Amino acid sequence: MNQSNQSQEDIKVIRKLMEESSRFLSLSGLSGVVAGILGIAGAVAAQLIITRISAPADWYMQPLAGGPGGLRTFMPLFAEMGVVLVLAFSGAVLLSSRKAKKSGQKAWTPVTRRMLASLLIPLATGGLFILLTAGTVPASVTAASSLIFYGLAVVSAGKFTFGEIHWLGVLEVITGLVCLALPEYSIIIWALGFGVIHIAYGLFMHLRYRG
Amino acid sequence: MKTILSNFNKAFESRVRLGIMSVLAVNESMDFTGLKDILAATDGNLASHLRALEEAGFISMEKSFINRKPNTSYRITEEGMESFRSHIKALEELIGNR
Repeated sequence: MNQSNQSQEDIKVIRKLMEESSRFLSLSGLSGVVAGILGIAGAVAAQLIITRISAPADWYMQPLAGGPGGLRTFMPLFAEMGVVLVLAFSGAVLLSSRKAKKSGQKAWTPVTRRMLASLLIPLATGGLFILLTAGTVPASVTAASSLIFYGLAVVSAGKFTFGEIHWLGVLEVITGLVCLALPEYSIIIWALGFGVIHIAYGLFMHLRYRG
Repeated sequence: MKTILSNFNKAFESRVRLGIMSVLAVNESMDFTGLKDILAATDGNLASHLRALEEAGFISMEKSFINRKPNTSYRITEEGMESFRSHIKALEELIGNR
């Protein structure tokens, strides 16, 4: 009986250590909500910019950095996407370190480094891909690639955090593919992918893992 | 009962050793500081358990330099993985035999 209790305790310790040492569990659900709100704000701003510069009705079929006016016309869109990305990432870092501190865990561990590396490799590749193709591919393809590369980055980072994050990545990739199929709805689909899905996922994670 | 006890590895009786094996079983490698943080063990305590596991052939050690600072990292050996697996099995059987 005593030996059995001891074994049960041992198994519990083994499980806990395996999980804690191989997964970044300080990821804050609230950072998903923040990213989602920023994503929607970004999509609204993009729509306003497009109206403001009186872009042609089929703007989504034209390259973001090409055509008459080209990059100069669409520069605000690029700048805005960059600001949204930086703010969302900072929010995630801030909220996650706060969550780690609260639960008395270290946020900067070997797992954190591994997670960031697997996130940043597809993400940086996507960023460069978007910049290098912005002059030649339709704007809707640029929007779709941002969703697809982000989704792949999340799938890859998902191995090092909560299992559910894997499916967030898969959802983002699917959203990106839908965006390719329905180019005229690029902005709405982009808002759905970076906004609505993030908020829903963030709330779910926040309620499930408290923080 | 006899088979269960033969799989129940004496080398893993200590919690720190069990902890080291758990961490290395799911991580390709882990350095000394990483292990220390996760297991909340003291330097001396951790070092002596690591040495014992290394001598048993369950883990291997690799010394290198990162930014000119010495860095010691550990990984589980095939033998270590096998023993650890059968140890967990033995633990589970013990629980089942209540």
